[in-house]
Amino acid sequence: MKKQPVLKKAEPYLWLAPSVLLMLSMIVVPVITVFRLSVSDISRAGVIKGFAGLENFQAIFASSKFWHTLQNTLVWTVVVVGVSTLLGFIIAMVLNQKFTGRKIVRAIVVFPWATSLIIQSIVWKYIITADFGSLNVILRKLGIISQNINWTPNATAYFAWECWIGIFVTVPFVTFCVLSGLQSIDENYYEAAEIDGAGFWKKLGSITLPLLKPSLTVSTVLNIIYVFNSFPIIWTITKGDPADKTHTLATYLYKLAFTNGRMGQAAAVSVVGFVILCICAGIYMVLSLKAEKEGQ
Amino acid sequence: MADRRRKNPWTRVLLYLFVFVLCIVILYPYFVMFTTAAKTREEMYALDMTILPKKWMWSNFVDVWSQAPILRYFLNSIIVAGGATGIAILCGIPAAYAMSRMQFKGKGIFLGAVIMSQMFAPVVLLMGIYRLMLDLHLTNNLLGLILLNAAFNQAFAIWLLRGTFLSISPEMEQAAKIDGCTTVGSLIRVLLPMAAPGIVTTLIFVFINAWNEYTMALTLISTDTLKPITVGLNVFNGFNMIQWQYMFATSIFATIPVIILFLCIEKHLAAGLTSGGVKG
Amino acid sequence: MKKFLAMLLALAMVFALAACGGSSAPAAEAPAAEEPAAEEPAADKLPLNVIISQYGNNTQAWWDGVFVPGFETAHPDIDLTVEIVSWNDLYTVVSNRITNENVPDILNIDTFADYVADDLLMPAEEYTSAELKAKIIPSFWNANELDGTVWALPILASVRSLFYNVDILEAAGVEVPTTWDEVKTACAAIQAYDPDITPWSLDVSSDEGQAAFGYYTWNNGGGFVDDNGDWALNSAANVEALNFIKEMVDAGYCFADPMNATRYPQQDAFNAGSLAMMIGPCNMISASSEVNYGVAPMPTNGGNSPVAFGVCDRLMAFKNDSAPDQAARTAAISAFFDYFYDQEVYSEYMVYEGFLPVTSDASAYLPEHADQFNKCEANGGTPGENDYFATWCGMLADCDFYPASRAEWIDVKQGVIDAEQQVLEGADAQAVLDELQSAIAG
Repeated sequence: MKKQPVLKKAEPYLWLAPSVLLMLSMIVVPVITVFRLSVSDISRAGVIKGFAGLENFQAIFASSKFWHTLQNTLVWTVVVVGVSTLLGFIIAMVLNQKFTGRKIVRAIVVFPWATSLIIQSIVWKYIITADFGSLNVILRKLGIISQNINWTPNATAYFAWECWIGIFVTVPFVTFCVLSGLQSIDENYYEAAEIDGAGFWKKLGSITLPLLKPSLTVSTVLNIIYVFNSFPIIWTITKGDPADKTHTLATYLYKLAFTNGRMGQAAAVSVVGFVILCICAGIYMVLSLKAEKEGQ
Repeated sequence: MADRRRKNPWTRVLLYLFVFVLCIVILYPYFVMFTTAAKTREEMYALDMTILPKKWMWSNFVDVWSQAPILRYFLNSIIVAGGATGIAILCGIPAAYAMSRMQFKGKGIFLGAVIMSQMFAPVVLLMGIYRLMLDLHLTNNLLGLILLNAAFNQAFAIWLLRGTFLSISPEMEQAAKIDGCTTVGSLIRVLLPMAAPGIVTTLIFVFINAWNEYTMALTLISTDTLKPITVGLNVFNGFNMIQWQYMFATSIFATIPVIILFLCIEKHLAAGLTSGGVKG
Repeated sequence: MKKFLAMLLALAMVFALAACGGSSAPAAEAPAAEEPAAEEPAADKLPLNVIISQYGNNTQAWWDGVFVPGFETAHPDIDLTVEIVSWNDLYTVVSNRITNENVPDILNIDTFADYVADDLLMPAEEYTSAELKAKIIPSFWNANELDGTVWALPILASVRSLFYNVDILEAAGVEVPTTWDEVKTACAAIQAYDPDITPWSLDVSSDEGQAAFGYYTWNNGGGFVDDNGDWALNSAANVEALNFIKEMVDAGYCFADPMNATRYPQQDAFNAGSLAMMIGPCNMISASSEVNYGVAPMPTNGGNSPVAFGVCDRLMAFKNDSAPDQAARTAAISAFFDYFYDQEVYSEYMVYEGFLPVTSDASAYLPEHADQFNKCEANGGTPGENDYFATWCGMLADCDFYPASRAEWIDVKQGVIDAEQQVLEGADAQAVLDELQSAIAG
């Protein structure tokens, strides 16, 4: 290799350039705009009037709806990611067994992942409608219930359904992450453990889980980000209603910006969302660095 | 595992029961979509509602194509998803190559930044994205959607490709270099063929994400003939009526190609997803 | 493997090219953008960018297939672009465009006060020809006045009244209710007759919950404003109205989910015969419905006389300081309106969508000539009905409308929906409305 040292040094960055350029222009530029909007005074119709300092932030922090939304976002993220991870793990364990029809079942599990969120949300909205919904019709025809059940009597019930749909669409991703982890585990470990008389739980705790940690970490980290920012499910099912009790940050800021005409405050909510995710990311980095050091 | 099965027949029964319930729950929405798509509009709100259509309106599946420019929507979706996939891969391969084969300052920072970029969902950035597209004269333009989808999928593409590259030993490329190949040559002649399954997985993955994208297209595209299918569906959600049967019929058409694509990569999907993390 | 990459590259290029080719309609690239629109295909044509809201499944077809070709034949010097935007997305699209200084020339929406506050609109007098002004029904012209200036033109109107299923009411043995007490009696009788039939309809969703507020407060002697025109959201009559709504829901007379079920599925239910009574718009009966229905005045409470409920959307023209030739632009806007409100064109659109005209000539013309035009395909594609326009145009004169020209209207609209939902969730109506009143009127 007769390359000049400078060029040699710059080479990796040249390889990264197209990708960096794409992300800088399409993601970082809008991020900057949103930060700028969050400290701007924007009129109801959407005209930027000038600098507003922290007024937008003060306004959202003073609203009880914001704090309720924040609480919802936390519940939403923890419940959806938590339950999906658990369910996905169980399903992956089952699908890792050899049984007739396994291929078909694995194919079916992919379905929710492959369907667009907006379509899934529309279907589920149709299913749970009390008066014309498919769920009540089926249960009535099967003779399980005699009268329509109101599946969504209040905000909490709605939110629970939204969580369920969130779980429904998230599980396949976890399942496939775990499956790949499971398939890379050497069968010999189990055989050795069985010779030592280890039972199912013992094997799960001392072999499966530790070896699955990387897969689970990947799926959990990505899911936290996706679920935290998820928009179509809640927007399609309730738009945050009744009385703004089922919002998460993503739908709340959308409503603030485009229904209530408060773009500045909406941008401020975006910024708060970034900060929360950044804190999470920071914690994750610290933890993983620590783990790496301990591992060495 | 085979011998465990013999030990306890009840585990088998439980397993099949679990799998059965699982399939019912997953397939239920698709069953609803299909049966509703085949009903008449009146039947949906009739007094004596039935599970299956009283009269199968197969014509709904045909009519829907003339009710709205569905074909055009599909074409737009294919252009956006295809274009975004192409760009995402072309930018992603060199980046993933550098990340997996080279040592340089700031590598960790870049990897962190890639993950960070995933934190900004399009919906949160909508106002900023619109401004950017306006400055670039790309509102109401499919090229704008292509670039945006490529960018928002860049992280995933790099993540998947890097994992694939890391799982391939660099020895072959080194051998090729000794034989006089340039770095680019060894990448193209040696690494890419070996990484083909991973690349295909990434391709399809990005394609599906772009295909299913909704919020950006909703905000940026206003001309009817430029709408992708996810946004085009709204045509059946009009001011005065919701045409569930057409909406669901179109949904089925929009979902089938994606499911087929997914099934093609199902085997490699999981492997590609986690190898980036395992070797990270 | 070079082939593989080359193919990939070629593929990407094809897609990129196809994308550029496919986006030949530079609809959003209005002249408001910073750079002059150099890529505009016909530089000598004056671009006119119009946003029309989606009124039905076939709105797009009429504008693209009938209006635009007709207009461009009549005005070959104007390059007209009409975008149809659904009500779901309308506010998002418009506010994004305003923030980014990319407003349309003409917009079809329901309110305008916010735009006036930012000095974005042209006064209607600037572009309304004398003939056009003369034929717009005066009450509709005046309804768009704010601070002494008229800022918008009415595009179309509709009237809401009580629709009832004749057969169900007969079978249940009840008369058409005229008071709230009779409504409750009738609902109980219907429920006793067949529990599967929903007796009454209610929509307090964020989609149109403000309409329900209007139906019940106006017919109880209350409303959004008092006799002096000041906001009076927490009047005793309004509190009573919200409590009535809650009573109806709690008694199980309405669909299970009034906070989320919009008017549209409820209309479909009425059309399918599973809903007995509904306050709805004049064009809610679908072409294929076999329901034997009747129309009656709104039920009232406390001896008040029924108030019919009118809805009216608007067309407005935005300022554009960067337009090179302001006079030509204004002339193009005038040309658009003159063409749109032309008796034949306008009548055709009204029949097509099933809405009511706001011009005097079309109001006189349609009750006799509606059958010369066809309804849109979703409404059956059949000729219009003269009787329909004779009946409903007559009612339009006595309607009450939202105070939509006021600056606070958007907040009031959101506020009353929120109040209704809070009351249904168990909050005290008086307290909720007091809070809203103090938030709006200070």
